[in-house]
Amino acid sequence: MIKRVEVNYRGIFQKNLGKKIGSDIVMIASRMGQKAFSNGRYSDSPERNGIPCKYFAFVSPDLPEEELEAECGAKLEIDETNISVVLDDTMCKGVEPWGWHGIRPINEKVIKDGCLLVVSRKKPEELLKFIGKKPYNYRIAILDGDASLAGLWVNKDDLTHERILGGIAAIDPALISIEAVESYLMEKTKQKHRAEAARAAFESLRAEAKPPRVKLVTPKEGIDWPHEKPVLPKWFEMQEGAVVPAVKRGFEVGPRGQSRNAMFKRGTTKTQRPAVRFDLCTKCTLCWAECPDECFDPTKDGFYDIEYQYCVGCGKCAEICPVKECIVMVDELRFEDDSSPYEHWKKDSKDYIQWVEDKKGKDRVSYPFVTGKGITVTQGEVMPEGKIVGIKKTEEAEL
Amino acid sequence: MSVAVAKAKSDQSDVYEREELLNGCQAVAHGVRLADVDVIAAYPIRPYTEVMDALSKLIADGQFDAEYIIADSEHSQFEIVKHASSVNARAFGGSSGTGWMYGMEALVVTATDRLPPLFVVGNRALDDPGAFGVEHNDAMAVRDMGWLLCWVTTPQEALEHVLIGYRIAEDKRVRMPMGLAMDGAFLTHSQHMVKVPSPEAAKKFLPQYDLAERRLHPDNPISVAPQINEDWVMELRRQNWEAAKRARGVIKEAYKEFNDVFGERYSAPYYFEEFMTDDAEVVLIGIGTVAAPARTAVRRLREKGQKVGYVNLRWFRPFPTVELRECLSRFKAVGVVDRDFAHGSPDNGGILMHEIRSCLYPAKQRPAIVNFMGGLGGRDLSIADAQKMYDITQQAAKKDSMDGFVTWIGLRE
Ligand code: SF4
Ligand code: SF4
Repeated sequence: MIKRVEVNYRGIFQKNLGKKIGSDIVMIASRMGQKAFSNGRYSDSPERNGIPCKYFAFVSPDLPEEELEAECGAKLEIDETNISVVLDDTMCKGVEPWGWHGIRPINEKVIKDGCLLVVSRKKPEELLKFIGKKPYNYRIAILDGDASLAGLWVNKDDLTHERILGGIAAIDPALISIEAVESYLMEKTKQKHRAEAARAAFESLRAEAKPPRVKLVTPKEGIDWPHEKPVLPKWFEMQEGAVVPAVKRGFEVGPRGQSRNAMFKRGTTKTQRPAVRFDLCTKCTLCWAECPDECFDPTKDGFYDIEYQYCVGCGKCAEICPVKECIVMVDELRFEDDSSPYEHWKKDSKDYIQWVEDKKGKDRVSYPFVTGKGITVTQGEVMPEGKIVGIKKTEEAEL
Repeated sequence: MSVAVAKAKSDQSDVYEREELLNGCQAVAHGVRLADVDVIAAYPIRPYTEVMDALSKLIADGQFDAEYIIADSEHSQFEIVKHASSVNARAFGGSSGTGWMYGMEALVVTATDRLPPLFVVGNRALDDPGAFGVEHNDAMAVRDMGWLLCWVTTPQEALEHVLIGYRIAEDKRVRMPMGLAMDGAFLTHSQHMVKVPSPEAAKKFLPQYDLAERRLHPDNPISVAPQINEDWVMELRRQNWEAAKRARGVIKEAYKEFNDVFGERYSAPYYFEEFMTDDAEVVLIGIGTVAAPARTAVRRLREKGQKVGYVNLRWFRPFPTVELRECLSRFKAVGVVDRDFAHGSPDNGGILMHEIRSCLYPAKQRPAIVNFMGGLGGRDLSIADAQKMYDITQQAAKKDSMDGFVTWIGLRE
């Protein structure tokens, strides 16, 4: 028998965290007398910032290590999982786990009666607005919390790592038991609060816990998956010499007027997306000029629409925009589609402003990568329509 | 099927415009001129250096017009050549020994990008120690990378193979980089009278270079060699494999076309050349200038009634497997002369010997094989050495034992 755990993580920002979780499952399962190993997809270079990636851990009580490796190792994609851990709930919108696999549902690999374990502040029902249907029952378990995002080679010591171990122990004690988790953490770190964090996470997912955080998901729940799997050409269908034809050039003013590479959407990379108040925009061009992924489409009346399918959520546009509350980064899970915000605004500006302020809310969440706490939350305000107030940029303030 | 070079037919005598004393390097330079190469990138290293010298002189004298770029290293030199080739410029480069190895990254991707520039390799031992005598390991380093690789033995062949090389490499069924190798010093710096083709004849033989749909140009926007992962690499390798297989047929075609223009210069099967093999029992096979002492030895041994012959292997990649198997399985014993080394290899011999043994494995009748490691680092391979090698090969034909079948020739021991 093999138990498989997949840890979905955001490239670079959670690479170290994902790897640590994988390693510790192996360590703990081994201490319980099982055979285990872990592997993962690397995300070690900066262009993989935020891209959904995976770490894996495989545990077997009866197979020899080599057979376990033969069944699970040296594969690009895991066959199936008993538990799919999701370290950032915005990945519930779908992941592109590796080049050319297409946008796949986050629960794609979860087996019957398996479990999707998500770090989130949301309820399972809210996440199911984005998750694909499965033909069988499985569970969604929520570990209450925010995504722990850091920089290359580091992870924040915010106990997410310990809590995930506790969560896995609650879902499948045969894989790793909470006692084994606790004794391992104590022995390794001699720090009681780590074992306690794991235990608290474990308790929060027990059936008796209030509020209940584990939901049974039936085949009726979830969405019909909208993304198709790409079909790759055979060797004799490809152009020779590693040549890729250019995207056909085209440029028209207006929403989606620029030609873009339909095969190179990186939208699953983002945890937040820029929300724009067009009525506050001074048409300064900065967002359009600065966006590294060329997501902005100029419009006839001088505004800049956003093509969200290509937005990686880097936040540069929000950073550069010189007007208060004009571009704000907002939790990706508040948006259900990628339609044009500009068109919405043109159709009904009052409705749009209300809609976008509703999405924005008051909390302005940022993730100070590498240093600082898990997240920083400041308060925003609702600007009246057309009230343009300049803001001093951090760099200017420092100069 | 013996003997090589036939005279040009009388009605084709005007295809050569003059005779000139040229060494291998200068002959290559004239080949480059006649191929009307567009871009030359150069960086000096002996013995290749004289090729770039000769080319710069041709340009300075107004005999030839090409973009001539001096690079800051072989790596840049080969990158320039690769990029020029990708924009549909006929491009030329070259090097020797460790210089060739230094640019290896660019050489490898030129093949994966399926571009057809021509490079001359003046074979040189790989330093350290700083040696500039001939050894074939430098050129052979690209043998598995999707390159065309061929050796010439005279300045005349060197000149002609620049034209033949571009003809094969640029063929749309092939489009692989062409390595034209020649023994350092013994050919690069050996001067002979060379019949120089007229530009018209060269033009008649060698069509324009046309990369067509793969030409990198603003009018034809494409990306070449993007980042690709596991989903694509095998398919690309398969395409390279197919091209290398197709090249065997294109090589034959090219020689036939060459003969049509220039007279019966080369005889079938083109990939290699047999000398006095018709009734031979024992042959040597080698690459490069060793052909001269070996063929001389054959003549002298024939005078004594010994049934010996010589096979000069011209094309190493693609390897002429079928033809060479058919040829060599006719003999009782084959002595393989390696001017290269393959330390720690299965038979502790040279690269060529391993290739030939592998090629002969499916043959119904396999000859005994012996291997000679000789002429390394530019050491002589004399007529006497060749006679000794025939002697050993003849002994091998008589016995079953394969003991000690690798012999070092000319070693102080
Ligand atoms: S966050 Fe802004 S700058 Fe960054 S990719 Fe998205 S639109 Fe472009
Ligand atoms: S940076 Fe802000 S103000 Fe400037 S064009 Fe973009 S949205 Fe408008």
